[in-house]
This record gives sequence, C-alpha cells and structure tokens, in this order.
Amino acid sequence: MAALLVRRCISGDAAAWEEIVQRYHRRIYNICYRFAGSNNDADDLTQEVFIKMYRTLNSYDMDRGAFMTWVTTVTRNLLVDHFRKTRQERMTDSLDTTSSDHEDAMALGERIPDRGPAPDSRVQTREAKEAVHQALQKLSPELREAVILRDLQDMDYREIATALKVPEGTVKSRINRGRAELARLLQRTYRQVM
Amino acid sequence: MAGKENNRMQCSEFDALLSQAIDGTLAGEKLTAFEAHGRECQLCGPLLQEAEAGRSWLKSLEEVAPPEDLVMNVLLRTTGVSTVRRHGGPSRASWMDRVGEWAGVIASPVINVARQPRFAMSFSMAFFTLSVTLGLAGVKLSDLRHVDLRPSAIRRNYYETQGRVVKYYENIRIVYEFESRVRQFKQATTPAQPAPEQPNNNDRKDKTKDNTSGQPEQKQQRNYSQEGNQPVFASLPNDPPVVNGATYRRFV
Repeated sequence: MAALLVRRCISGDAAAWEEIVQRYHRRIYNICYRFAGSNNDADDLTQEVFIKMYRTLNSYDMDRGAFMTWVTTVTRNLLVDHFRKTRQERMTDSLDTTSSDHEDAMALGERIPDRGPAPDSRVQTREAKEAVHQALQKLSPELREAVILRDLQDMDYREIATALKVPEGTVKSRINRGRAELARLLQRTYRQVM
Repeated sequence: MAGKENNRMQCSEFDALLSQAIDGTLAGEKLTAFEAHGRECQLCGPLLQEAEAGRSWLKSLEEVAPPEDLVMNVLLRTTGVSTVRRHGGPSRASWMDRVGEWAGVIASPVINVARQPRFAMSFSMAFFTLSVTLGLAGVKLSDLRHVDLRPSAIRRNYYETQGRVVKYYENIRIVYEFESRVRQFKQATTPAQPAPEQPNNNDRKDKTKDNTSGQPEQKQQRNYSQEGNQPVFASLPNDPPVVNGATYRRFV
C-alpha cells in the first residue's frame, strides 16, 4: 500500500504525496518531539523531514525494507544532524535545571510530587509525564533514539536495527541501558525530593 | 558484570535476554534461569528493576498531538499548494491581515535597505537639497493647500506664469542688446592698436613644450622655398644671355 503511494507520488500525483503526509506526520512529529524536547523544534524538524523525504523519495527501495522503516531512518538521520548542529547538552546536566522551552517552569526535582506513593501511580499526573520527558532529554542521543523507537513507537528490534544501521544486539543493549539510565535519573531526583 | 556466573547463567547472557524478558517473550528454562540469576546477582538484579521501571516511565508518556497547520505547512513547503498561514487557521485571518502581511513581506527588504546609514544619509541630503531649492524658489509647502485646483483657475495660473516668463525673457533680451550696442560703439571710437609682435621660434618651442592639452601640434602653413636658409640652386641676372643648347654642350 505504501509502495503504491510512493510510486504514485514519484509519478507526480500530488494527492498521493498529501496522503503520505497525512499518514505519517503524527508519527514523525512525535519522534521529533521526544527527541528534540520542544514543540517548536518538533514542528520545524517535522517539516524538514518531509522536505527531505519529498526530495529523496526516488531513493526508497521497497526491497530493502518497509516504507515506515525508511521514513524512520530519514527522521533519525535528520535528528542526529540537528543534534550535532545544536550541540545539545547531554545527560551530565543537573536535573535541577529547567528546560529552555519552559523558562518559568519549576525544576525537574520540584515537579515530582512529594507524596511518597509508588512511581507507577505518580506518572498519571501531567507533571510527572513532563518530568519523564525532561529526563528523556538527558539521555545520550544513541540511548534516547533507541528507547523512543522501541517504547514510544513500538518498533521491533529488526526495524530499529535497520533504521539505526546497527546490529540487533546493539539495539537491545542500548534499549536496556537507556531504560535503566532513565529510571536512575528519575529515582535520583525522587530521592533528592524525599 | 561479564564473566560472573550465577545459577548457570552468565551476566552477559542475562544482559542479552533482558529485552526479551521485559517484553514478555522469554519462556521456559531460559526464563527460569534468567529470574534466578536476577534474584542472586547483585549487579543484574538492580539492572532488571531499573530497566523495568524505565520502561514503565516511558510507557506512561502519551502521544502528543501535532499542530493543526502542520500538514498544510508541509504541503506548502513541498508542493506549494497550500495557502494556510503558518500559525493560525484561514478563518481567523481577515483580508486586512493578509494585505498587511503581504505588504510587510514586500516592504521589509526596502525598509531594511533604507535603514542602512549611507542610504539614510543620501535620503536626508536629497530632502535637504529639495527643501533649500523650494525655499529659494519661493515655494512654501504650507501654501500648497490653498492652491485652487479648478480647471479655470489652473488655466489662469498657466497663462499668468507664461506671461511672466515671456516678460522676463524680453527684459533679458533688451539688456543683452543694449550691451552689445555699447560694445560696438566702443570699438568704433577706440584708435587702432599696433599689431602684436610675432613671437620668435624659441618662444614658440617653449609654448609647444608647455602645451599639455594633448592635442596634436598645428601644421604650419609656411612656404619653405622663401626662407633665407634654403639652398639656392640657380641664380640668374636681370638680363640673362641667350645660350642655345649646342653651345652649352660644347663647353661641357
């Protein structure tokens, strides 16, 4: 189905391209938002991804993988380029610093409620979700992209390995390390608050 | 962690099976050995707990809704078929806003150029020159609002201006005519002046040297055969003898 759309789009069918945009923009936006951390960056990056897709649609080879995987690869490559350009600070930053997108917001440690219940119950609140989102930005790009594709986009390991161009074992290792690192970051903050 | 062995499973094997165990795809003896290793190993046990907690945190994140105009902006930037503004729907934009936006887009480069110091200086000098010129010509901008723009008034102003110009021209012509008559009268009454001396050759050469006009030197209209320094090929007396050709040949 996607291959047919691509073929129609390459032949100049504008409606096919619009359907591709309608079908994948939500997914691409979410990947960009979770990776970049802000709505504005996600908006710009999603548009850049589609521009890149529009220009390189001829290079898609359906024999080498699903169109979804190709879209993810294009998105990931552009995100990595964006990360290198902006030289974003990595996980060594303090969790007590606020993100640049919410200058007047509370620090991450302050946003986690000080009530003492189990973490599974606290993540239901919006502040806790924001805290997780901020903690996700502290991960290194390699770990971040792996956990985003696996736990937020529900891609299987083979697709992730194809998109990231690394072995499947490396993908699993990065996912495990990313999950553990995220939990350590949040637990450390939680202990500081307690 | 690698190399340690607890309950017949190494830590490296535990790490490799961690993803499958968390995903729930691990079963059978492997799952039993995995769980036993996790309980006994002081390194792998916390790792399992942290990975499970991290996965729970991540799964709590919900999908975010993209901006409403994202699709239209993408189509606009790729195929150029959309006319929707970047931030805000089409229904919220009045035609005045659109005109203002387009005017801003068109005028902004001009304004940016005009803001440069050299252009601002040029504009101010032009304005200053124009104001001074109008001031010297006696034009007052405050009087322009009193100008009568009726056709009859415009026609009357035109003929009045034309009459003033013709009068001024006639006056100037009379003055010039009078001046030329006076000049002619002076020339007629003044005695003749001796002709100026001809400059000698040395003076002429010096003047030629001093000539920096770049023009070629004027050709001299002179008869060189009448110059005193030319060689004389024959000289005959006033009463030349008649000599025939044969006699002449006999002398030779």
